[in-house]
Amino acid sequence: MSSIRMNLHRPPQSIPEYLEQLRQSLAGADPALVQDALYDAEEYLRSELAEQPGKSEAEVIASVASSYGAPDEVAEIYRDTEVKVQTALRPPAPKPRSSLIGRFFGVAADPRTYASLFYMVLSLATGIFYFTWVVTGLSVSLGLVVVLVGIPLLILFFGSVRLLSLVEGRLVEVMLGERMPRRPLYAARGRSWLQRIGDMFTDVRTWSTLFYLLLMLPLGIVYFTINVTLLSMSLSLIAAPLALFPGLHLNVWMFGIDIPNQAPWLLPLVSAVGVLLLFASLHLFRAIGRMHGSIAKHLLVKTAQYS
Amino acid sequence: MADAGDDSDLQLRKFQKELSAGTVSLALLAVLGSAAEPMYGYQIAKRLESLDGVLSGKQSALYPVLRNLSAAGLLDSHVEPSVAGPPRRYYRITEAGRLTLQQWTAAWRATRDSVDAVLEGGNP
Repeated sequence: MSSIRMNLHRPPQSIPEYLEQLRQSLAGADPALVQDALYDAEEYLRSELAEQPGKSEAEVIASVASSYGAPDEVAEIYRDTEVKVQTALRPPAPKPRSSLIGRFFGVAADPRTYASLFYMVLSLATGIFYFTWVVTGLSVSLGLVVVLVGIPLLILFFGSVRLLSLVEGRLVEVMLGERMPRRPLYAARGRSWLQRIGDMFTDVRTWSTLFYLLLMLPLGIVYFTINVTLLSMSLSLIAAPLALFPGLHLNVWMFGIDIPNQAPWLLPLVSAVGVLLLFASLHLFRAIGRMHGSIAKHLLVKTAQYS
Repeated sequence: MADAGDDSDLQLRKFQKELSAGTVSLALLAVLGSAAEPMYGYQIAKRLESLDGVLSGKQSALYPVLRNLSAAGLLDSHVEPSVAGPPRRYYRITEAGRLTLQQWTAAWRATRDSVDAVLEGGNP
């Protein structure tokens, strides 16, 4: 309601004003959606402005209200359409199971589980790459700042960090299901080169993105280790009864007992524990995936700007 | 009296909105399917605007649909810098998109024919 009152109060006169009103009308929406909506609106408004060279910015924006929509209309369309089309084009989520057992084992039918599992393995590789990139980029360009070559290098480096942030966002959205921006932020218009470079350094998101990229190394190591340890442990427990096969030399020592020789009746029990452990690990993987999605959302998407 | 008029107007707009929600993806695919070159958001919006009636709402509704079609692999997109200012994202239909367009076209024709048949049958 407040947005409607605001628009009655004063229609936007310039593109930045239009975008500001759109941002206010979208307050509380998913920040990734806000970023995309602002990008789309800016593309449309600037194209319209370029098509009608004789008219002033205010006139163009007034005419846009009937074709593209006033800021609050656009906000409503985005809240509406995105959700609807997205659910229509995506495969339906598996039905939640009601029984406790169904919920425990149902984790195996959830594609998110496996996507998280692969993300955890992949995160070691991406973590090493991000860390190396950031440390090398920062130290080389900062080191060369004294001889001035470092300044353009530093700017290039910050640009590459924005790109990496978008790429990681795509990975997180595809694999972990957290909605992330599909479009970069527009650089503020009407500001000089020096001011824009200054913006890069004062932008909180630049620093939080750097922090995220560095954080990915320890997180990647932890995720990878948890993943490999739990999977190999539960799979080897499951495979324990194979020790009874005559040609196979498999040692199953547990609590000081050589199980196949001293207590072979325990083997099925060991196997069952393995199955339980496997499913519990799948739950853990899915939970880690969700948690990581929200970490990425907080550090890579500039939330403060939209709230 | 005025209330009844407002009410039917509201119903009409709601109906148009629902119709366009169902058909806008098809219209977008068709526009890109017949385009010789990749097109960007604004061009597509203007093209649909010139074909009166397909899109009852605002052109801003196109962008999320374009993005979702692209995410579903039916469209391909790339960014090119432009003289006008912001870089533009160009969309092109993919092979999967063409196949989908054929299926959707058939489904649309079947629906249209059966709706027409019902409408004519009720009014001989």
